Amino acid sequence: MKFLKLFKNSQVFKLALGVAILVVCYFGSKFFSQMQKLNSTLELIAKSNETQLELEKLLSIINSYDYSLRNYIITKDESYLQNRFLNRGIIEEGIKKLKVLTANDSLRSKDIQTLEKLINYRFKLFRETLIAAKSSNVDQLGLNSKLKRSNDYTEMMKMFVYKIINSERLKTKFENSNHQFELQDSLITAFLLIILSLLILLLSFNKTNIDVEELRQANDKLKLLNESFNSAEKTAGFGHWMVNLETDEYTFSDNLYRLMGVEPNAFEANLENSIKYFHPDDLEYVSKVHKDSLLNQQSTSIVFRFLTPNNEIKYIMGVGSFTKDGNGNLIKIGVNYDITNEYKKTLELEENNKELKYINTELESFNNIVSHDLQEPLRKIQMFISRLEEKEFDSLSQQGIDYFSKIRIAANRMQTLLIDLVDYSRTIKGDKVFVETDLNKILTDTIQDLATNIEEKNAVIQIGKLPTIKAIPFQLKQLFINLVSNSLKYTKDDVPPQISVFSNEIADEEIFEYKIANKEDFYKIVISDNGIGFKQEYSDKIFLLFKRLETDAKYAGTGLGLAICNRIVDNHKGFIKVKSSPNEGANFYVFLPKGDLI
Amino acid sequence: MKLNYNYDGNIACRTILQDQLEKLNISYQLLDLGQIEISDDIADDSFEELQTSLNRFAIHIIDNPKAQLIQRIKDAIIEIVYDKDKFPNTTISQYLSDKLNYRYGYITNVFSEYTYTSIENFIIIQKIERAKKLIIEEKLSLTEISYELNYSSVAYLSTQFKKVTGLTPSMFKRVIDRRRKLSNTE
Amino acid sequence: MIAHQDPMHILLADDDEDDRAFFSEAITELKMDNKLTLFEDGKGLMDYLLNPDIKLPHILFLDLNMPGKTGLDCLKEIRANSRFKDVSVAIYSTSSSEKDIEDTFIEGANIYIKKPNDFSMLKKVIKEVINMNWQFHTSGLNIETFFFSI
Repeated sequence: MKFLKLFKNSQVFKLALGVAILVVCYFGSKFFSQMQKLNSTLELIAKSNETQLELEKLLSIINSYDYSLRNYIITKDESYLQNRFLNRGIIEEGIKKLKVLTANDSLRSKDIQTLEKLINYRFKLFRETLIAAKSSNVDQLGLNSKLKRSNDYTEMMKMFVYKIINSERLKTKFENSNHQFELQDSLITAFLLIILSLLILLLSFNKTNIDVEELRQANDKLKLLNESFNSAEKTAGFGHWMVNLETDEYTFSDNLYRLMGVEPNAFEANLENSIKYFHPDDLEYVSKVHKDSLLNQQSTSIVFRFLTPNNEIKYIMGVGSFTKDGNGNLIKIGVNYDITNEYKKTLELEENNKELKYINTELESFNNIVSHDLQEPLRKIQMFISRLEEKEFDSLSQQGIDYFSKIRIAANRMQTLLIDLVDYSRTIKGDKVFVETDLNKILTDTIQDLATNIEEKNAVIQIGKLPTIKAIPFQLKQLFINLVSNSLKYTKDDVPPQISVFSNEIADEEIFEYKIANKEDFYKIVISDNGIGFKQEYSDKIFLLFKRLETDAKYAGTGLGLAICNRIVDNHKGFIKVKSSPNEGANFYVFLPKGDLI
Repeated sequence: MKLNYNYDGNIACRTILQDQLEKLNISYQLLDLGQIEISDDIADDSFEELQTSLNRFAIHIIDNPKAQLIQRIKDAIIEIVYDKDKFPNTTISQYLSDKLNYRYGYITNVFSEYTYTSIENFIIIQKIERAKKLIIEEKLSLTEISYELNYSSVAYLSTQFKKVTGLTPSMFKRVIDRRRKLSNTE
Repeated sequence: MIAHQDPMHILLADDDEDDRAFFSEAITELKMDNKLTLFEDGKGLMDYLLNPDIKLPHILFLDLNMPGKTGLDCLKEIRANSRFKDVSVAIYSTSSSEKDIEDTFIEGANIYIKKPNDFSMLKKVIKEVINMNWQFHTSGLNIETFFFSI
């Protein structure tokens, strides 16, 4: 597989291809030389054959010459001598040819030269024999010896020629067998060449295939990506567009068309066509922004409206930026988001906000009414009752005195309730300003405020070091006042109250019990007293509005104090808990966030 | 532009007295506790002139003996309140009795009769008045002020402050600061 | 020096008829030698005060919540006028909000009284205020730092 990987690597492949081509060239040249060799061998063989032929021809002509002479000698017919010049000519031709044929073979050339000489001598003999034969006085002996000599000479010539012919034949044979080998060799080379070429072809083809496959896969992926992008656009409600600033070509995505309220590609993508889908009031602004951005190539971000053919208004956020495409052309691309929903929600929120503000104002005036206008008549009632009790004391019956007393008590109670209600509503009010608040100072102020009460009860208050946090000062003061007042109020009969206020680390059990995410997030402030305490099972109830416990009957109270504390702690994103048991006093734990949870 | 100042009433008073007496050519000797020894008897009209000129400065010559005593008592108390070193180791009653040479019972009776308040109350008022001054001066912390005025603790000072004025010291300071700010912006 | 023997001249401005009656009755029952003048609105009060012939009061009680010219308006006017610098001003109000108290002191009030809801308490308060005020005047104490809240 590593090899295949290597193979797929195009660098390696190019190298391999180069090597292969070199090899093919090498074999090709080898084959070419072999072919050349074969050719020359064939030429040689052809030459040799022709040489043999010529030599045979020569011999046959010399023979025919011989016969002709013999025949003449026998018959004394002149017609047999007719062709001798012609034959001579042919022989001369033949010799010439042979000379040419054997030009490259020095040995053979020499032989041919020798043959020429021999033939010339033979013809000399012919002539002599002819002359001898033609004479009127035929020297039979001389003729016979001449004939014999001619014959022997011819035989010798024949022998010579046969020798040449043989040698040529051998040469041919040798060349032939050579030729065979060479043929085999060249066949192998050719075969190798073919195989190699095929291999190269196959491998190239394979590689091309692989590459094409890869491309196809990439293309498929791209198509898929494009499709999913298109559907993403559709789902998310945005469309995009592109303009090539060099060619002024526009591209709109499918969903951009849909945003404009038409089918994808309903019209040709350009500025003029899309203009009619912009809300007429926004058109000028949008065109200006677009044109300006083209001048300075700054990114743009605007909100405008589309007006679809169905007269539907869509609020669109359009963001555009500049970049360069693959060819280095400057293009502007933009995305348009359909923010109609968000816009509508924002409007709704603003409406709600306005309403809330209105309610808040109403609450404030209600607050004012309670704090002043309600308390006024109540105070009058109390005043007049006290006047009556004083002035008409003598004229009242015991019952009358009792009744007035009860009226006074009830009126007092109502007043306390009103005051507490005002306190409570002040903790709900909207405008809460958080500032760095030193809790030590708040506590000192509280103690100063309650100084008279503290002195009356002979209370001992121990304070530890408290942190500084971001808070609403008047609310925290109210918190401390309420808690310390409670501790001063719910005391055991003969036991002077001992109250301590300090800051502590959050214990591990508390993390679990109060489900605190991280104990470093909160300060824990403890207000503990040695008063009458209460049952732990009420530890949640006592923070409820108007909730009082049965033991509270003899202590004056409205049931709002702790609810106010709860509210205040809640405003500061903290919480308040209490641990108590009857006659064992109470420990209030105020958890306030340290950092910027607010 | 605004200038803040403080003053020592005693010294201012005595300086004025000296100036006025010298202007009228009356030889005198300044005793403490609001008394002047005039060497000779002065004529009635000179006396009237003296009275008128002093009245301008709201300095009144007391001719009622009991009133004189009251004034001396007040002065004595003011002296010990404003100077920690002079604060007696003995009780106040002992101190006043010794200083003014009267029985304490007599002193208290006269004081109440004329001022409709007790000496203790007067002392407390004076202490708180000085506390106010010191708070405004901003040189000492509340703890230091309580020490200076012979209170056992800051808490005790705060309690008494609140009793007398109805305000806590911090609230008092806040009011003074805001008043200053207000008058600065006007 | 204001001797206690001199009748104490007291002014009250309050738009509520009953409150004026209570105050008057309380003063009467206290049997202190006092001269009380009542006004039912701020304008009446200021008109009286600005009359150059009148004898200045020792102490002046102002209700805060009056229609037209409120107690606070009167207070500001009075404190802006150096003629009244020795007059103690007591604010007489239903509100017990710390902020209100502070605000009135800042504007120059000397005394702040929360209207009590019991007559005997009212008498006690008025007595204490008058006493305290007299102490201040007779002891040469600084009127600018004279604060009393009850």
